[in-house]
Amino acid sequence: MSKKPTVQPALHKVIMVGSGGVGKSALTLQFMYDEFVEDYEPTKADSYRKKILLDGEEVQIDILDTAGQEDYAAIRDNYFRSGEGFLCIFSITEDESFQATQEFREQILRVKNDDNIPFLLVGNKCDLEEKRKVTFQEAQDRANKWGVPYVETSAKTREHVDKVFFDLMREIRARKKDENKTNNGRGKDKNKKKKLKCTIL
Amino acid sequence: MGPPPIVTGLSPNEGPPGTRIKIRGENLGKSPQDLVGLTICGVDSLLTAEWKSENKIIAISGPIKGKGDVIVTTRSGGVGTCNVTFKGYQIATIGPMKESAVWVEETEFFSWGRHSLSPSSYQQEDPLGLSVEDTEKKIPEDDLLQFYPNKNGDITSNDFSAGWFLLENHQATSFNDLQAGLVHLRRKVQGQKEGQLSFLKSNIGAVMDQIDTLVNLKDRYEADLPKVGHEPTLKLEKAIKESEHEARKLFDDVLNRKDRAEKTRNALNVLTRFRFLFCLPCAIDRNVKKGDYDIVINDYIRVKNLFHKTDIPIFKIALNEIEKRITDLQSKLHQDLQTMPITVEQQKRLIRYLVNLDAPFDAAWNAIKARSNYINKKFSLMYNYHKSLDKPESKSRNSSTSKYSKYNKTPNTEVTIIPACINFTHEICLSVTETFPDLWIIGQSYFSGELQVKVEAGRQVEYKHMVMTVIETFCKYVRASLIPNTLDKSEKSQFGSLTLPERDEIALYLPELLESVRSTYSTFIQLDLPGDALQIVSSLLLDLRVHCMSILFQQTTEQIKYLNENWKINYNGKYTGVTELPLKFLNAIENLIQVVKESVLLVEQREVSLFENPVAQKEMEKQLNNVLTAFHNVLNNLSSSEEYDESENCVPVVSQLVGTPVSSHKTGSRSDIPIWEHRLLITLSNCLFTKNTVLDTISTKFKENGFPPLTMCFTSTKSKLEQLEKSILDKYLEQKSDPLVGTIEPSMYLGRFDWHLIVPPTDIRPYVKECINNLINVHSEIIHISPTLLNAVLPQVVETVAEELYRLMSCVQRFSREGALQAKTDIMALREFLKDYSTDSAQQYFVEALEVVPPLDRTDEIIIEDILRQCRAKMKIQIKCLRH
Repeated sequence: MSKKPTVQPALHKVIMVGSGGVGKSALTLQFMYDEFVEDYEPTKADSYRKKILLDGEEVQIDILDTAGQEDYAAIRDNYFRSGEGFLCIFSITEDESFQATQEFREQILRVKNDDNIPFLLVGNKCDLEEKRKVTFQEAQDRANKWGVPYVETSAKTREHVDKVFFDLMREIRARKKDENKTNNGRGKDKNKKKKLKCTIL
Repeated sequence: MGPPPIVTGLSPNEGPPGTRIKIRGENLGKSPQDLVGLTICGVDSLLTAEWKSENKIIAISGPIKGKGDVIVTTRSGGVGTCNVTFKGYQIATIGPMKESAVWVEETEFFSWGRHSLSPSSYQQEDPLGLSVEDTEKKIPEDDLLQFYPNKNGDITSNDFSAGWFLLENHQATSFNDLQAGLVHLRRKVQGQKEGQLSFLKSNIGAVMDQIDTLVNLKDRYEADLPKVGHEPTLKLEKAIKESEHEARKLFDDVLNRKDRAEKTRNALNVLTRFRFLFCLPCAIDRNVKKGDYDIVINDYIRVKNLFHKTDIPIFKIALNEIEKRITDLQSKLHQDLQTMPITVEQQKRLIRYLVNLDAPFDAAWNAIKARSNYINKKFSLMYNYHKSLDKPESKSRNSSTSKYSKYNKTPNTEVTIIPACINFTHEICLSVTETFPDLWIIGQSYFSGELQVKVEAGRQVEYKHMVMTVIETFCKYVRASLIPNTLDKSEKSQFGSLTLPERDEIALYLPELLESVRSTYSTFIQLDLPGDALQIVSSLLLDLRVHCMSILFQQTTEQIKYLNENWKINYNGKYTGVTELPLKFLNAIENLIQVVKESVLLVEQREVSLFENPVAQKEMEKQLNNVLTAFHNVLNNLSSSEEYDESENCVPVVSQLVGTPVSSHKTGSRSDIPIWEHRLLITLSNCLFTKNTVLDTISTKFKENGFPPLTMCFTSTKSKLEQLEKSILDKYLEQKSDPLVGTIEPSMYLGRFDWHLIVPPTDIRPYVKECINNLINVHSEIIHISPTLLNAVLPQVVETVAEELYRLMSCVQRFSREGALQAKTDIMALREFLKDYSTDSAQQYFVEALEVVPPLDRTDEIIIEDILRQCRAKMKIQIKCLRH
């Protein structure tokens, strides 16, 4: 029963993707609870949702923290389908994880069937500069190619953690506004559109 | 009331029952106690919840299916809300015909199957055909309830209220839209109503076909009616029944198999559940074999506690089996307990086992009895063994000891065969030292309750009797084998007696045996035995000590009896003029003192000083007297027998030949045995030495070594020795003076001399010279042996000489002038020469002899002076010899 009599703020669904061990859960937990988890425990699928103020407006962010391990790769499609925005994370200390972002990007585009889906390329663990394997330029080039922003973060120092989530939510919000406009413009198609949207929701 | 808890994160967000979920959020309780409720998808999971922090709880998901909220309730914040959902699912299901490695409760699966078509999947459709509005700006349910009491917006409900429904779902819809919706609804209803007809219309062909078929079917049925009868279903029913039966047969088989499987499973279950019970007989066997009795006992007690009230036959059988084994074990342990030898520790352990096993024996008491019997048996065994060795041995030993006694030697060498009684005593001491403490210790533990056994009344007395019997038996055996004279007749026969060895032999062993008994005694003392028990041993010990002492003294007496003289005079060293004999005597006594002191006198723990005992002291005095008397006898024997040895032909008699009155030569004899006179002198010297020195030394030695004052013995011995001395001296004088005196008269009248003859004197007469020479001879003889005797012996001789001279003179009938002159000269010469050794009476004799001689005138006196002067000059050497 998702429909409660209380008035619910706008809900933005964010999905964390990326290879295992790049820090998806760490970023999520840092953003959600300001905590940094040292021990590594592979995630299966975690849900988080809380109310935040986005540019003075109260919104709800729903974060789906997915599994980076390949074992769970088969069920990714399902997750992706429900996502409104994606944070594609790699570790700057691990080139392999950077290469994997390509695959994730392709899979998301395939599932969403939308080239302009809100998407951020995130290079995590930027506090470990001395272990860097992926250059900033290299990542920036890839982001440019995809037409998405590139941000370097550190879940440990909380550097740019809020920024990536808020940037993504702004994009999602902007995109929803666009969609509403087009929906309102269409008028008659509203029913159809709404039904479609239901499945997305 | 603080802020309500809110769950904002789940990790993971789905999973099968039993998934460990990290629940994150805010205000999840201030402490574990603050957390009072947790439901995951409606299932209470508080029991599994682990409160980590205000932001984190870890819980395990319960049996849930489908999506649901995670609601946290805290005391401080009340019932909370949830932003995220958890989805529960089953990984796999196990059906009745599906194999599974685990035993699964089956009933639930069936219910699932039935209810899988529950209306939960039913989706309410939008009846107006309008899309559902956005969730924003809804009218709260409470308000609606106010508007429409007892109504609701559920289309399927009896209390459906259109107003509620519209307000709830289409509050913001424009009127136009609602109208359109009404049209939509109407169309739908219309469609349902018109549907039947239009359906028929559109499917007219098929409907006709169906009617035809039905008619056909009816015709056929009617045609078949005569053939099959009115109830064609009978056959069908029969077939169905048959097939049902067949099916059942098939299924029964499966069911039977299932039953059997279940039974087996149940049996296995029972076996597993009570594996302990069923395996116990084997386990007991195994552990008994291994000797792990503790485990057996533990198991047994456990099984008794668990099953002793059971009514289940199979358990009873198993229990019987166990009981049987336990009974066997009990009797085995009991057997072990009474099998000697065994240590106390082992016995205690066995007793503990038996007590723990509730054995029907009085284990502890039996153990004590077994021990006591064992000791007694061992005693008699040892005794019998040694008794059997005793007989043949005694003969050979007798021969050997007789050999020793013949040679008067202590048998300290060549003794290879130890007498049976010695061995026996030694062994019995060892045995009792070894075995008795165990009896005592186990008895103590029994009565102190250490063995956890109830002590029965009267046992104390019985036990005491046991202990006393053992100790008494031990003592009596020792007495029987060493000092049988301390036992009365009946006891002697009871404990038998081993052949007592000769004294010399037993003396060798006695101190050692005493030591054995003593060590046994000290063992007893260490055990803290009661006084009356110790008293038995202590009195034995005292008797043994007295016996030992008396044996040692007797041995010494014997040794002294056989002391022999070698007649070698000791000229240098501390004691001169004596032979080794007194020193040997002294030595023997010293040895005796040493041995006695080391063995008998030594006062050990809880022993009285030996001489505090009057019996012991009396014995001691008696024995000392014996020893001293023995030596006295030795000396006496030496002085009394002229013939020293038959084998020697030496006849040391004084020669009657004039001029050679004393012959010291021996014919054809060993030169190391001196002549009789010498022997007398030597013995005399020894006697004196013994009296004056040795006895005092011995007396001091005795005193030094803690013997009681024994002055009585010594004084009596001294006086005895004095008498002996006197008799020896008399004998010697008799030996010496008689011949010497006897020679004077013949020599005086030698050559037809007579005092009335007129022979002018020119010199002293030869008889005088001879007499002097003889005296010198005696003098030298004494000096040779012991100068100390000189004063005792020589004056006596001189006295007899003087007396003889006086006698001879007074016998002279007539003196011529010359004769008188000569006589006076002779007497004066003798008197002068023998002055140093003349006693008062000798002087008197000389004076009286001179008075017998007729008086002489002045000229004669001068002549005498002249002759004497010449004589002195001539006999200078002789005179010197007789000087001090």
